[in-house]
Parts: sequence; structure tokens; C-alpha cells
Amino acid sequence: MLPTVVIVDDHEPFRRSARGLLELDGYRVVGEAGDGASAIEIVTRLRPDVVLLDIALPDTSGLDVAESLAGVDTRIVLVSSRDPSDIGPRVGRCGAAGFIPKDELSGEALAALLSRTA
Amino acid sequence: MRKLQLAIGAAGLVLGVVSYRLLRDDLHQSVARSLPTVVIGWSAIASGLIAWRRRPANRLGALMAAYGLAVLVRPWQYSGEAALFTVGYALGQLNVALFGHVALAYPTGRITDRLELWLVRIAYTMALLLPLATLLVYDGSGLRYVPPGPESGLLLRADPELARDLEQTFVIVVYGILAACFVALVVRKLVRATPRLRRVLTPLLLAAVLAALRAISEFAFTFVSPPPEFVHRLYWWQVAGQILLPVALLAGLLRARLARAQIGDLLLELDHAAPDGIRDALAHHLGDPGLQLVFWLPERGTYVDAAGTAIQLPSSSEGRSVAKIANDGERLAAIIHDPSLDEEPELVRSAGTAARLALENARLHAEVRAQLVQVQESRRRIVAAGDEQRRRIERDIHDGAQQRLVALALELRATQRRLGGRVDPDVERVLSGAVEELQVAVSELRELARGVHPAILAEEGLAGALESLAARTPLDVTVERAPAERLPPEIEAAAYFVACEALANAVKHAEASRVRISAVREHGRLVVEVADDGRGGANPAGTGLRGLADRLDAHGGRLLVTSPAGGGTRVVGELPCAS
Repeated sequence: MLPTVVIVDDHEPFRRSARGLLELDGYRVVGEAGDGASAIEIVTRLRPDVVLLDIALPDTSGLDVAESLAGVDTRIVLVSSRDPSDIGPRVGRCGAAGFIPKDELSGEALAALLSRTA
Repeated sequence: MRKLQLAIGAAGLVLGVVSYRLLRDDLHQSVARSLPTVVIGWSAIASGLIAWRRRPANRLGALMAAYGLAVLVRPWQYSGEAALFTVGYALGQLNVALFGHVALAYPTGRITDRLELWLVRIAYTMALLLPLATLLVYDGSGLRYVPPGPESGLLLRADPELARDLEQTFVIVVYGILAACFVALVVRKLVRATPRLRRVLTPLLLAAVLAALRAISEFAFTFVSPPPEFVHRLYWWQVAGQILLPVALLAGLLRARLARAQIGDLLLELDHAAPDGIRDALAHHLGDPGLQLVFWLPERGTYVDAAGTAIQLPSSSEGRSVAKIANDGERLAAIIHDPSLDEEPELVRSAGTAARLALENARLHAEVRAQLVQVQESRRRIVAAGDEQRRRIERDIHDGAQQRLVALALELRATQRRLGGRVDPDVERVLSGAVEELQVAVSELRELARGVHPAILAEEGLAGALESLAARTPLDVTVERAPAERLPPEIEAAAYFVACEALANAVKHAEASRVRISAVREHGRLVVEVADDGRGGANPAGTGLRGLADRLDAHGGRLLVTSPAGGGTRVVGELPCAS
């Protein structure tokens, strides 16, 4: 069984590229969301193994979404094209498994982070 | 006018003498009982004529003189001559109506209040009609106020009973009802008056007391008999009051005159007054502590106060009056004052004229302040607009170019996977190189965006932004204190840029190894301080620090730089920030 992923980002080109890359790297992308509200709905419904969650969402902050998903059995990986130091200490406190800069995203990077924090 | 006044004066003198003789010879009164009437009449005529001369436009002087004449005509009713008696009795009560008229017309000479107007009209009607009616039936057999003497020159049908009833009716209506109404109206007038007007109206209290005394002695004693000692004392109080009242009214009327004589003092005071002091000087001299002084700014087409704030002139319904002051026909300033000063327009105008030179100066001050206020506001707006633009640019970089480059990098990485080593090593190398270049570009854009406006400032506030800044700086940086709460965005941004600039200098020029940052709110200010252990000698006039000082200045703050050679650099930014 391939690990399942939901990608949350308001930029469609990013979602498309990330989906393509992760599927090549052995993940099954089961859903996508463009904002915080639909992210919570989809993740709660699909219960994927991993949520790739952008921090800057149009309706809310990805950090808030991560906190809202605290009760759901899924692992959250925050992504952003900003540096974590530009986002602040909440990155480490919101319940997410970790952070990957968007430009460094790949199946390997994801697997490394997940196994490191498992 | 002069001749008329002289004639009234002469008539007053003659009438006084005639009255005295009538009281002494015909009524057989003592000197002490005869003189008061004459003195009361003369006091009113003299005060009235002075008021008339000094204030020709004000009818009050003429009214007072008429009252005095009416007082002196009254004793004619004691004459043994039928003609003199008839005239004296017909006009004998006119003084009562005139008394009310004078008091209620004070200080303008005009009665505007409808109730007051009606009271005076009724008083005149009663004072003329009832004695006339009495004269039609009076046969000379004596009345309450008149000893038996000649019969009326207007007698139609003798009816002594009716004559006495008519006299009694007069006493009840005028001294009973109208006097009580008069006292009530005076009290109402005083209660309603502004503080300044109330001071002017003070003599009316005396008039009210007199009316009350008269009402008691004439009306109440018709029905009860008090002890003679009491009547005696009441009489002398009345006499004193009636002599004093015209003098008090005259004094009140001329007070403005006296104040005008102090214009010299006002000029002296204005000579030494600071621009702000002119209002105080005018308020003091016009006796209106609430007086406001506003200046006309032609370029802005508006009035401003001394602090440069735009002011709308009040409309008359707001209970304040306005006197505009011009210089050579050009609008200069306006005095917003108590409406009671409307009655002394010359006073306000002369004070305004005296203050003109000082006002011209003060207007320039106000103009400069107004401009300063405008400049400060526009500066603040410019800085705020700049901040807003920086925020937008940061977002545009992040949402635009950066996202595209990220997506492209991921596409290339995916392509690498798909090709999976089945391609020419050269192509593989180019692909890897491109991905790396893209990552460098993304990271450079990130630096650029952060420099334009740090996203963390909006997300996490000053404390988070300072921590992030400290973490990224390649020195030993400690954030010792920072406010946990959020502050206004422009204050957070200004404080952040102070730390940013100071840290950049510490890294680039100071050869520092340790830096301490603290941001503390105290006494309504936010004080952000950055101290390094570098070689000092920083130049506060350098573009970085200069720009920073300008930014703080725009928010009403300031920047202090202490940087002795070899002694480290301390940069302190202070920003107003209400707790």
C-alpha cells in the first residue's frame, strides 16, 4: 500500500508539480485543497497518511489548520517558500511533524522527515 | 438731542422743586418725608441723562430719565389746584410701569422677551387707564392715597365708592399681581443668563427686591396692619434702593466703557503675550473666560485654532457669538464669545482692533503650526503608504515569481525521476544544475522579500520578528526583552527596522561579536535599544541611520545613536505607543 497524501496549497501549479513528483516518488495523492476550510473537510474525510500543508493560505494560516487537525490521525508536513525563521516559533508548536521548504520538496525529503520524526 | 437733554434736565430740576413744595405745603409732610421723592427723581434723571449722553444709541438712558420725571410728577396729585391734581393723578402711576420697563429693558434698552413685553404693556395700560377711570367718578372726597381736595377735572358722575374701588383694583392688579410677575421674570432672566450676562444683570436683583418691598408695603398692608416700626424701616429701605437703582443701572451700562478705558492695558499685555497668550488676554479683558480665538488661513479657506486645528465657526443657535476681525479689509481672525457681549459690539471690536498686530503675528504662528500638522500627517501617511507597498511587494514576490520558480524546480525534479538515468549524463547534469540554480534563485528571492518587509512581523509581531532576526544574524545576538503583545503595525515596523539597521551595521562595519536587543514599553513609549561591543565610531548622518531617524520622526519618535570610538555602538529608537 502506497502512503496516501493530501496536498493543501492555493497555487494550482504547485499542487500539480508536487502531485507529479510525489507520485513518481511512490506516494498516492488522494486529494487536494486550495484553502484551509476545505483542507480540514477533506483531511477529516479521507484521513490520509500525510498532509502536505502550505502555511500561507487565502482564508487562514496553515498553522491554524494544523492545530485544528490535532485530533485527526494523520501526519502534517508544513511547506512554504518562506524560510521557517520568517514564520516564527509556531511552526514547531502547531502539532506538525516538520517543515520542508517548497523548493526542496521531493519524495525522499518527505520520507526522510517522516522517518526522522516517527 | 443735546437741547432735549438739557430741557429734560431743567424740567427735572423745576419738577423737583415743585414736588417738594407740594409735599411740604399741600400734603404737610415733614422734610424727611418730602425729600426722598425729589432725590429719587433726580437720581433717575441724572443717571438717565448720563447714560443717554454716553450711549446715544441705547434707549435705556431716555427711559430712565422718563422714569425720573414720572416720579416727580406723582406729587401733583396732592395739589389743591384742580388742573394740577387732575394731571398729577392721571400720570401719577406711570412711574410704576416705567420702573418695570427700565428694569426689563436693561441693558440693551429693548425688551425682546415676549412675556416681559406683555408684562410691561399691561403695566402701562393699568397705570394709565385705572387712574383715568377713577378721575371720571372722583368728586374730591378723598382716596386712600389722596387727602380730600379738589374734584377731578374730568368728573362725569360723582361716585366716591366706585373711585375707591377702582383705586383698590389698581393696588391689587399692579402691586399684587404684576409685581409678583415682575419678580418672577427677573429671576427667570437671571437663571437663564450665561455667567457673563448674569454679572451684567446683577443690578436687576436690586430692582426685584425693590419691587417685592413695594408690593409688600402697598398691597399686603392694604389687608394687614404691621407694626409702625416695621413700616418705617421698610420705607427707608425702599427709598435707599430707589435712589441707588438708577446709579447701579448706569454703572452696569457703562462698565463696558470702563473696560474700553483699559484697552491701553490690553495693548501693553498683548505686547508681552506669546501667541497663545492673546486669547487669555482677550478673555480676561472681555470678561469671558470661555472665549475662543481662531485665525483665518486664506490658502486653506478655513479658521484654525492656535494649535493649527481646523475650527468651524459656531452658528448663532449654538449659544456662542462670533466677531470677525479684519485688517485692511482682509479677514484676519474671529473671536468666538459669550452672546452677552453682542450687546457691547464696540467693546469686542475695539479689543479686536487693539489686538490686531498681535493677531497678525499669532495668525502666522497658527499658519505655521497648521502647516506643520499637515506636513507631519502627510509624512506619517507617506511612511505608512511605503510600509503598505513593501508588504504588497513582499507578497507579490512570494505569491508570484517565487511560486513559479518553485513549481518549475519541482517539474524539473519530476522530469529527472521520469528519465531515471536513461539519458545522456550531460542532460542529467544540466537538469541537476538547473534545479540547483532555481533553488538559489528561490532563496535569493526569499532574502529580497524579507528585506523588503518581513512576513513574520505581520504574523508574529515584534517579539517573533526580533527573535527571527537574531537567529539569522551571524553574531551572538540576544533578545533580552520584547513586548509579548501586538502593537500598531507602523510602530512594530519602525522598531523592527531600527533593530535591522543596527544589526546590519554591527555585522558590516563594527566588527562586533555580541549584540543585545531590547524593546520595552514605558511611559507611553516603545523604546527599542540595540547595543554591540564593536569598535564604535558609527556616523549617525550615514544614509541608513539618517533614513531610520526620518522614519521614527514621522511617527513622532526619535533616534539616538551613541558610538564612541572603541566603545561599541548603542542605537536607541523611541516611538510613541500608548499603553
